[in-house]
Amino acid sequence: MEPTKEKESEQTARQLPDSEVATTTAEGAEGAIDLEALLAGDEKAFEQLVIQESPRLFRVIVRILGDDDEAESILQETYLQAYQRMHTFRKESKLTTWLYAIGINLARASLRKSRRLSSLEDQEVEKMQPDFNRGMFVETPGAWDPSKITELSDRQQLVRRGIEQLPEDYRTIVVLRDIEEYSTDEVAQMLDISSGAVRVRLHRARGALRKLLDPHFRRQPAE
Amino acid sequence: MKALTILKTALGLAPGCKKVNEFLAEYVDGELDDKTRMQFEDHIGLCGCCNHYLDQYKTTISMTKETMEVNVPSQLAEHTLTFLRKNADFSGS
Repeated sequence: MEPTKEKESEQTARQLPDSEVATTTAEGAEGAIDLEALLAGDEKAFEQLVIQESPRLFRVIVRILGDDDEAESILQETYLQAYQRMHTFRKESKLTTWLYAIGINLARASLRKSRRLSSLEDQEVEKMQPDFNRGMFVETPGAWDPSKITELSDRQQLVRRGIEQLPEDYRTIVVLRDIEEYSTDEVAQMLDISSGAVRVRLHRARGALRKLLDPHFRRQPAE
Repeated sequence: MKALTILKTALGLAPGCKKVNEFLAEYVDGELDDKTRMQFEDHIGLCGCCNHYLDQYKTTISMTKETMEVNVPSQLAEHTLTFLRKNADFSGS
């Protein structure tokens, strides 16, 4: 599913400075891997990359696909492509960002192929955001009942179902940003979109999830 | 909201609910500069609507974090290495 939102407005409406600059050297999680050896085709270094990154990359792919078996297959294909294309890595991003971009693209292609599409459309996500008049809320958001949140036994299932309902590009951003806690700039690089677009879609996704959860957690008015 | 804040908002000197909502993700993620953050906190401190919304927004994020547990297969990396040995010019160790 291709995003239909106005990319230009997403990019220009936000003028906040990026807090992070893309790294030009290997660092962080892949710090222990000899990047030069990897680029020179060292199989031992690549094996280390597989051992080091497989669990996290698998979790990301499962959360996008919702299918463990398919995720393992996509993971293997990701490493195969990475191994064959290692010479194309230009050190313009972290190695893991480049690797995850391959995995995410393959997972999204698999979703499109299998037609396991989300139930919400982009326009519906937009409609789930609050309305404002003269800059103020049109409708006061009803307070949530903390006891309902803690006591609801199927809370996790409810949230999971909500995330699964999101359009695929929104869901992917929620997974990468809110669950895996990658930075906005890293997510932007993985998805090849602007940081502003990541922020806008993340905000809309969170707003849509809040709206979906609202009826379940809302405090009952006093009799 | 207090009258002064309403007046400031009307005059465009302080952010209104819509502006606060627009930058909520940056606020929650700690990506706002100090001056803007303080303006937002002034507004949120006085506005019941934004207060409720912010609380629910944060709760939604924390519930998202705690959900979607994934069990990683124990032989995951080994399976991948076996796949590479079969399908690529890769011998590994």
